[in-house]
Amino acid sequence: MLEIAIIVAAVAIGSGIALLAGGMVGIGEGYVAGKAVEAMARQPEMEGQIRTTMILGQAISESGAIYSLAVVLLLIFTVVVPLVNRLLELL
Amino acid sequence: MEPEVLFYIYTFPVSQPLLFTWIIMAVVALTCFLLTRNLQKIPRGAQHLLEVAVEGIEGLVVGDIGPEGKVFVPLILMVAIFVGLSNLIGVVPGAFSPTQDLTTTLTLAGLVFVVGHVAAIMKKGFLPWLKGFFEPYFFMFPINIAGEISQVISHAFRLYGNIFGGSILIGILYMLAPYVLPVPLLAWFGVLMGIIQTAVFTLLSVIYIQIKLN
Repeated sequence: MLEIAIIVAAVAIGSGIALLAGGMVGIGEGYVAGKAVEAMARQPEMEGQIRTTMILGQAISESGAIYSLAVVLLLIFTVVVPLVNRLLELL
Repeated sequence: MEPEVLFYIYTFPVSQPLLFTWIIMAVVALTCFLLTRNLQKIPRGAQHLLEVAVEGIEGLVVGDIGPEGKVFVPLILMVAIFVGLSNLIGVVPGAFSPTQDLTTTLTLAGLVFVVGHVAAIMKKGFLPWLKGFFEPYFFMFPINIAGEISQVISHAFRLYGNIFGGSILIGILYMLAPYVLPVPLLAWFGVLMGIIQTAVFTLLSVIYIQIKLN
């Protein structure tokens, strides 16, 4: 029972650290949005194209944070959930 | 993460993603059948929808790959419609979008990968295609292989992570604040991100095919 508690605690701490990747992605996407606003102010007639390209670039760069989210979700659903179920059965 | 089996058809287990994939296939097939019944030279009424969709995808594909890219338009159209519909279905409470499951996204990404490489072999010939892996320097062979594999994995995981993560968030939100609060957030995560991820997935498949053809 102690081993199960240690594993669950380790997964919890690890997922908290892994999701810090979202912070850097937020900085990058905010920078891109700022550059897009500057470009739109300089050339208002290209507004539609600039907006589309900005959304596309942000969606692709967001995939870095999504990889860590996918790893965390896979960990939780394959490691923690069976262990917690087994723990609740033992109790 | 076993998909839960809903019911059996003569010992064939039908799981949740499979059922919703069938539902999407039925909806798309029925819509296309109803819309193509009286094709006319000058489009009227509902035929405009089909023309807009086909011309949009054809403009995207031909603009990127060139005039020989017309053969890929049905594949890209299928990918766009299937991914778009299944992302939007995830917004309905209780429904399960097929792209929430890694099998669907890996299959679609693998499909685009295989089609791209087969097209490259058919265009360039088997030995020049094989030589392409050794292109800049001879020892770059493992790096090129790893690059191809990481393209497929990133393609699949981007879609899977976005849709599955969105559904987990919506599920937690439904538990916390039942009726009113989820609605605007559901609009953002479910609908908007679904549409954006569809566009990204489609665009990236076109770009991957174009990279492999050159």
